[in-house]
Amino acid sequence: MIVLDDVTAVRGDFVLEPVALAVPAGAQLALLGASGAGKTTLLEAVAGLLPARGRVCIGGRDVSREPPERRGVGLVTQDALLFPHLDVAANVGFGLPRAARAPAVEAAARLTGCTHLLARRTPALSGGERRRVALARAVARRPAALLLDEPLAGLETPVRRDIAADLRTLAGRLGAALIHVTHDLEAALATADLLGVLDAGRLIQLGPPAEVCQHPVSPAVAALVGTENVIAGEIRAEGAAGAPPFPARLRAGRIELRGLATREGPGHAALRAEDVTLAPARTASSAQNQLTGVVTDLAPSGPLVRVGLDVLGVRLVALVTRESAAALGLAPGITVYAHVKAAAVHFL
Amino acid sequence: MLSRLVLIGPAAAVVLLLATPVAGLVARAAGVGGLPAALGDPAVRGAFALTVACATAATLVGALLGVPTGYLLARHDFPAKRWIEGLIELPVVIPHPVAGIAILLVCGRATPLGAVLARRGLAVVGTPLGIVTVMLFVGLPFVVTSAREGFALIDPRLEAMARTLGVGPLGAAVRVALPVAARPIAAGAVLMWARAVSEFGAIAIVSYNPQVASVLVYDRFTSYGLAGALPPAALLVGLALAVLVALRGLARPAVAR
Repeated sequence: MIVLDDVTAVRGDFVLEPVALAVPAGAQLALLGASGAGKTTLLEAVAGLLPARGRVCIGGRDVSREPPERRGVGLVTQDALLFPHLDVAANVGFGLPRAARAPAVEAAARLTGCTHLLARRTPALSGGERRRVALARAVARRPAALLLDEPLAGLETPVRRDIAADLRTLAGRLGAALIHVTHDLEAALATADLLGVLDAGRLIQLGPPAEVCQHPVSPAVAALVGTENVIAGEIRAEGAAGAPPFPARLRAGRIELRGLATREGPGHAALRAEDVTLAPARTASSAQNQLTGVVTDLAPSGPLVRVGLDVLGVRLVALVTRESAAALGLAPGITVYAHVKAAAVHFL
Repeated sequence: MLSRLVLIGPAAAVVLLLATPVAGLVARAAGVGGLPAALGDPAVRGAFALTVACATAATLVGALLGVPTGYLLARHDFPAKRWIEGLIELPVVIPHPVAGIAILLVCGRATPLGAVLARRGLAVVGTPLGIVTVMLFVGLPFVVTSAREGFALIDPRLEAMARTLGVGPLGAAVRVALPVAARPIAAGAVLMWARAVSEFGAIAIVSYNPQVASVLVYDRFTSYGLAGALPPAALLVGLALAVLVALRGLARPAVAR
């Protein structure tokens, strides 16, 4: 288990604000944040590689004053940082007592799917292989905490999927608490039991991934968890404001959006692109938000198409299948009707 | 093809520039004869043995002192660091006799330190210890600078990674940084050894006797002229070349298990 109590750290001009969180053994926390949000700083503070204040407990032990070698952490970085003068087996066995080395290396290689690489030299490895070897090296000592810094970044899609699949079960198989930092929502959601969002050195939201994605607490979180429509405006209760959440409307320019709010005043409406449905004509719908927009742009994204709309001067993005886009005859300049359920509109 | 020719031209000029005088010396030495006699000459053999032994000892001590110093300079900033780096490189630019005089002023028999050392059987003037001291003085910059540059090229996060794997800071430096920087360090040590073998001016001042090879060649030249100096000079060139080629081979990187 990893427990952080108001852990802070400073690197140059950057300050990591107090972070408090707990990751149970066998669970994975994905920490999402843009570049410079403090993700690596936090991991290094946990690993003891950066001076930090606050309390760091790993495996039930307060290691706040311990050097990195006595913290019981395994660390994997984006560039793997394999020791170039050692072959794969020696990398995986680095730091292990001689007597325990061979079986531990074998077990770690099996756990991470790199048994076939053990005799190889490190410069000859591909990016994905390097990441697997780094993972094997990190787990060989059976650490109580596993810290992964962008472990899937820069990998080709099939390799990335393979490693993500292994990561999904790794914490459970290892019995370790795992923190995985990334700027990539897909990578975070692929493995996480808990999702945290770091922004400018602050942990601004922490919770189950579905909760964080559906109910971001700020426009910054909304943007990071892939909510493409964040519309600024004025929130007003419909009727008398009751106990939150209460039905409310957000006025942005000439449009109004209905949803549930916890407060009135200036704010934002966050709605995911996949929650916006398009129709060629105004139709009967249970959706409380029905908006008329003009298609401004179309961007294919795999089997889907991202449709940009101008709704009375407000930009709205919808995500539809290629088939739907073709059936609707979507093209720039076409007028469509966008429907959004009030339950899908989250006021911030 | 054109780019290769552009490179080959200067390289050929370098080889010619360096090889021609050496080849001329060896050819002339073979012409005057005396190489077999020089090989059997106890004074020549003694001087060569002393040169190799002193250069090797100085290089080992230089590596023991210079590699940690290079690591310190590569990894840490501290007050007066630039001055210390300048001081370390100073022996490269000061004339060799000046280096000899400086050592003599500190370790000469008439100096307090020299007197103390002499009483303890560690006299510097006119002894192999003095030769090693001179070689260390003139050669240390090469090993310190090479080590510093070698360590500076290594990502410090490699050592940080080693520490998360249960190894302390010293262990991380010795088990990760040192082997990764082995090639530039070895290159620096080879240069130091070569510099030690070639040293004449400072050694002649601090320890003319017992004679190292360079002093012996000079001594033969002043006593017997060119014919006396050429055979040991040619042998010295041959020895230096053979050792340098062998050490360059040893300095190639290897991957360990």
